[in-house]
Amino acid sequence: MPSPFSINGGACVAMVGKDCVAIACDLRLGLQALTVSNNFPKVFQYGDNVFLGLTGLATDVSTVSDLFRYKVNMYRLREERHIAPRTFANLVSSSLYERRFGPYFVSPVVAGLDPKTGAPFICGFDSIGCIDFAQDFIVSGTATDQLFGMCESLWEPGLGPDELFETISQALLNAVDRDALSGWGAHVYIIEKDKVTKRLLKGRQD
Amino acid sequence: MDTLVARYSRPTYQQNEVFSEQDQQDFTDVVPPLSLKFAMPPVAHPSAWLRAATDDRSNPSCPIKIAHGTTTLAFRFQGGIIVATDSRATAGNWIASQTVKKVIEINSDLLGTMAGGAADCQYWLAWLGMQCRLHELRHKRRISVAAASKILANLVYQYKGMGLSMGTMCAGVTKEEGPALYYIDSDGTRLAGDLFCVGSGQTFAYGVLDAEYRWDLTTEEALELGSRSILAATHRDAYSGGFINLYHVKESGWEKHGFTDTNPVFWKTKLEKGEFSNVTSNFAE
Amino acid sequence: MPEVLLGITGKDFTLIAASKAAMRGATILKAADDKTRQLNKHTLMAFSGEAGDTVQFAEYIQANAQLYSMRNETDLSPSALAHFVRGELASSLRSRKPYNVNLLLGGVDPITHQPSLYWLDYLASLAPVPYAAHGYAQYYCLSLLDKHHQPDITLERGMELLTLCADELKRRLPIDFKGLIVKAVTKDGIKEMPFDNDKVVKGT
Repeated sequence: MPSPFSINGGACVAMVGKDCVAIACDLRLGLQALTVSNNFPKVFQYGDNVFLGLTGLATDVSTVSDLFRYKVNMYRLREERHIAPRTFANLVSSSLYERRFGPYFVSPVVAGLDPKTGAPFICGFDSIGCIDFAQDFIVSGTATDQLFGMCESLWEPGLGPDELFETISQALLNAVDRDALSGWGAHVYIIEKDKVTKRLLKGRQD
Repeated sequence: MDTLVARYSRPTYQQNEVFSEQDQQDFTDVVPPLSLKFAMPPVAHPSAWLRAATDDRSNPSCPIKIAHGTTTLAFRFQGGIIVATDSRATAGNWIASQTVKKVIEINSDLLGTMAGGAADCQYWLAWLGMQCRLHELRHKRRISVAAASKILANLVYQYKGMGLSMGTMCAGVTKEEGPALYYIDSDGTRLAGDLFCVGSGQTFAYGVLDAEYRWDLTTEEALELGSRSILAATHRDAYSGGFINLYHVKESGWEKHGFTDTNPVFWKTKLEKGEFSNVTSNFAE
Repeated sequence: MPEVLLGITGKDFTLIAASKAAMRGATILKAADDKTRQLNKHTLMAFSGEAGDTVQFAEYIQANAQLYSMRNETDLSPSALAHFVRGELASSLRSRKPYNVNLLLGGVDPITHQPSLYWLDYLASLAPVPYAAHGYAQYYCLSLLDKHHQPDITLERGMELLTLCADELKRRLPIDFKGLIVKAVTKDGIKEMPFDNDKVVKGT
């Protein structure tokens, strides 16, 4: 029996740039070797500039993304304001730890801009909510080893939005090309002060 | 006396087909004595130990990962035989290579395909090439595909249970046999047939191939069908991919028809013919 | 796994096909089993998986879909139903005794008339797809449909594709699945389609 984290496959990466952040995911949904769908995005938007990437077991990707849509909507109604990335990260962390003894099999990634200061924010989690605050990049999914290699060599501080798009796209596409369980196209989000650009990448389909 | 009797009396598995006495002799002569040529691990049960260490299906965290995962196909038709393969090698989920040559050119007339253990296939098909050459030198004529495939089948059967992993096809065209295609695997199965697909992506290739396969395919149609079937398998099977390696075997020998990257072929097939409608191509948004 | 489920969408319809054999161990108990349930006027669900779980789950979903239609005097859309089914299956997954059911949910939207098809497995992974299969049929038919399916096909062409799939399954599957039951969902509702199950396919 394979690990629940690698039944469906998938990869996700987030990066910090100069006054911007980027988050990207692949599009594969598989059942071990079989590719079932090529249109299964793993990055979800919760407000103007708060994004969540989820890799792992597909059913939990859907369950957890739906759960946070509910929680973020409730937060907005109660507080009458949008949730900030750092607040959202703490929400993710505590929600995951609620399932400490029967976890969701997901590895989340949060990316966004602070609504007050506009400062880039990214972080990653393990499946039970330990937060990994990073100043450069966060990777998750079945292609983590490959993504770490790509990010360590391509990423540099102070990338502008266009350079950041190029960097994250190259990192993701080249990483998933060395992983059998992820790839088949990608979504990339570039998040700037008051602009979010979403692009679909044409990846290898084998 | 016993050795003479043993040499010329046929075991049951050889009684169905008639081979010349020379061929018969080849079968018995070429087999190397077991456990003399290969070093064995110094443990009580070498084959069980090896299986525990290398079989990633029964033990995903096995210490030695052997390259697996493949789609290979070959089919006979009016114009000869088409042989096509993908080119990906995987060790677990890691893509170890995208440029593996899974068609092994045994000699200028015979092709072998490679599925399963990469090293097993490479080594024993190269060895088969040597046996075929020796046959030519001894008997001053080319070996039949039937005999060549049987040398390999008998060899792997000798090693049965010791962890060899190979699913291979031998394709060749000779004057006596016409286009001849054999499937041989490490269980010891040897089958003559018109159409075989082997490897983790075999079912996907069968799906496309069976639907449009006919004996009277033209050479162009046959090459296109072979390459399209591999493309189908690389798309759906995570452990197949890379390049399409395409061969046409004729009586004058085999002819290579390229080692083509699947990526441009895929997008051309999708955008020009409207196939693969499951793949999103709405790049604007 | 030997059960066959197939689904194809086209221009204005969704086709769902399911094998007719009800198998227990080495025995075929019934050769005219219907592995589908109608959820409302234009949504149909096909199911396979563990004996007992399949029908229990399908009829539980069917009852809830019908209850919703009666209470609200309107039908849920195929998309809404698919997400409802996923939710039920996902909460069952982490219960003491999960349902072991694989599903295809096909329908035509009552307002936009857009056909849709959803693939769900027993882990409650949900994917909207233009064509789908479950069990061993996935391994033979998806590549075939990759090649021959187009988004704007007619119902007749859809039936041809099903025949193509059935032929391949008869040729390559080692067991007899006793033919397919085929149902078409259009804006006018769901109807069973005539399908030639007596055709003999020769192997190679």
